[in-house]
Amino acid sequence: MIQVDSEKKVKATPLQVAKAVFWSFFGVRKKAALDKDVVTLTLPQVVVAGIIGAIIFVLSLVMLVRYITR
Amino acid sequence: MEAASHAKATHDHAHSHDDHAHHPSGLMRWVTTTNHKDIGTLYLFFSMTMFFIGGLLAFGIRAELFQPGLQYWEPEFFNELTTMHGLIMVFGAIMPAFVGFANWQIPLMIGAPDMAFARMNNWSFWLLPPAAILLVASFFVPGGAPAAGWTIYAPLSTQMGPGMDLGIFALHIMGASSIMGSINIVTTILNMRAPGMTLMKMPLFVWTWLITAYLLIAVMPVLAGAITMVLTDRHFGTNFFNAAGGGDPVMFQHIFWFFGHPEVYIMILPAFGIVSQVIPTFARKPLFGYASMVYATSSIAILSFIVWAHHMFTTGMPAAGQLFFMFATMLIAVPTGVKVFNWIATMWKGSMTFETPMLFAIGFIFVFSMGGFTGLILAITPVDIQLQDTYYVVAHFHYVLVAGSLYAIFSGAYFWLPKWTGHMYSETLGKWHFWLSLIFFNVTFFPMHFLGLAGMPRRIPDYALQFADFNMLATIGALGFGLSQLLFVAAVIKCIRGGEKAPANPWEGADTLEWTHLPSPPPYHSFETPPVVK
Repeated sequence: MIQVDSEKKVKATPLQVAKAVFWSFFGVRKKAALDKDVVTLTLPQVVVAGIIGAIIFVLSLVMLVRYITR
Repeated sequence: MEAASHAKATHDHAHSHDDHAHHPSGLMRWVTTTNHKDIGTLYLFFSMTMFFIGGLLAFGIRAELFQPGLQYWEPEFFNELTTMHGLIMVFGAIMPAFVGFANWQIPLMIGAPDMAFARMNNWSFWLLPPAAILLVASFFVPGGAPAAGWTIYAPLSTQMGPGMDLGIFALHIMGASSIMGSINIVTTILNMRAPGMTLMKMPLFVWTWLITAYLLIAVMPVLAGAITMVLTDRHFGTNFFNAAGGGDPVMFQHIFWFFGHPEVYIMILPAFGIVSQVIPTFARKPLFGYASMVYATSSIAILSFIVWAHHMFTTGMPAAGQLFFMFATMLIAVPTGVKVFNWIATMWKGSMTFETPMLFAIGFIFVFSMGGFTGLILAITPVDIQLQDTYYVVAHFHYVLVAGSLYAIFSGAYFWLPKWTGHMYSETLGKWHFWLSLIFFNVTFFPMHFLGLAGMPRRIPDYALQFADFNMLATIGALGFGLSQLLFVAAVIKCIRGGEKAPANPWEGADTLEWTHLPSPPPYHSFETPPVVK
């Protein structure tokens, strides 16, 4: 009943994780890239990259705002 | 429905599962049930009841606003009506309806025999009726029901009578129910999928609920914290929100909206999920951009945590803060736009038919998008400062929550009624329900944009003469909308009691497990042996 991933995972590179998270922020992902993500990305990788991505996103907004209100 | 499904269950399982077939009958069946289908049904009926109570309050509001001047209610009671209408619709109608869908559909769609924590599931539901009784009973205590608006801003909420305590207690209980429901949903989805049902093969409704459940677990404790602080300010001498004692009433707004904005998405993401099941079915094409839909849902959920202060631009904040929340808010339009484009692309060149679920889904896209656009307008800080607390805001969130969430609930209800009851609903009733709802919804709420732009404030029982015509129109629309909903009740009752037998899969384009692997209605215990998903 519990789903078991039979395929052995090849770990994704940090760049690949970063790309997946970037596209998730935008909300669009190519099918081929998704299929690759599904077999290579691990959950902790996605969570860590997601938190880092959110921090970068917030910081870049803050920098933009500071630049405007300077 | 229950009789039919019960009979079917006994028939299907009499031989191998005698012990399972002996569950209590009559009222005790519903009180003691741990069956996800029974609990789903309970949630849905509870939600429908609260929807009509909330609707009655709405009609109290609209009746008073039919003409300028005070007609029926004292201003204080009018405030109680607006507050309780909001609280009941948000916490009593929309949220439990989606949990009802989750209970019925998630196990069926992922091939699980039931929810992971079946007894906790029973408790999650049975916490709700006491909470609802507390909410409604608050009308009858000295000082009446909470009247601070559904946002129960301090210092209003720290000053009112015992009705506010009942309201706070009700919210605590409903929050606990939501958290337990969410834990159940997350655990079920992550651990009980049928072999072969990988995350990226899950129907989109399941995905949206997985993300919604995480949102609920994240923000419900925040609401509980905020209202507990209100409670201790009221009774135990604390000064969290009391400026005279060194506290800050604006802090309440920050905490409330840190819960409140994700809450908005909690009420719309499952709606996106339902629409994403219905449109591919009736367009007879797979959902366009499935992966994008999953990613966009996650993106919306993440962004929902960093936009809360757009609800409070007028409380005063640095220009940098205003710009931050403005930009972040506007960026949510990107993943939301991705979703709308994907739905339209799914319909593009599809073999479409327009049964009632599809009508509501298309109506959803059309009218929800209008609500989305007014949201973008309100995100612009200087515009929001003009429109804050006007009827423009009332129009905006009713376009999102009625034409968004409620239409999706109707779409899903008509879509799955044949599966749940084993009978086809009346297409004639359904179509009348859709068209009357669509027309009267717009008659009610479209004029509110003009009222808001002209400066009519919300939450007032009286108004200046220049607002009279549009208000009269809105009240006529509201009466029509309310009465049209009786057609839904009629359609549901008729469907439960009988009608044309529904085949296992009445929809040509439906391909999820509940349609392909189970009869209509499904047996009382389904997927005891999990299906294998290729």
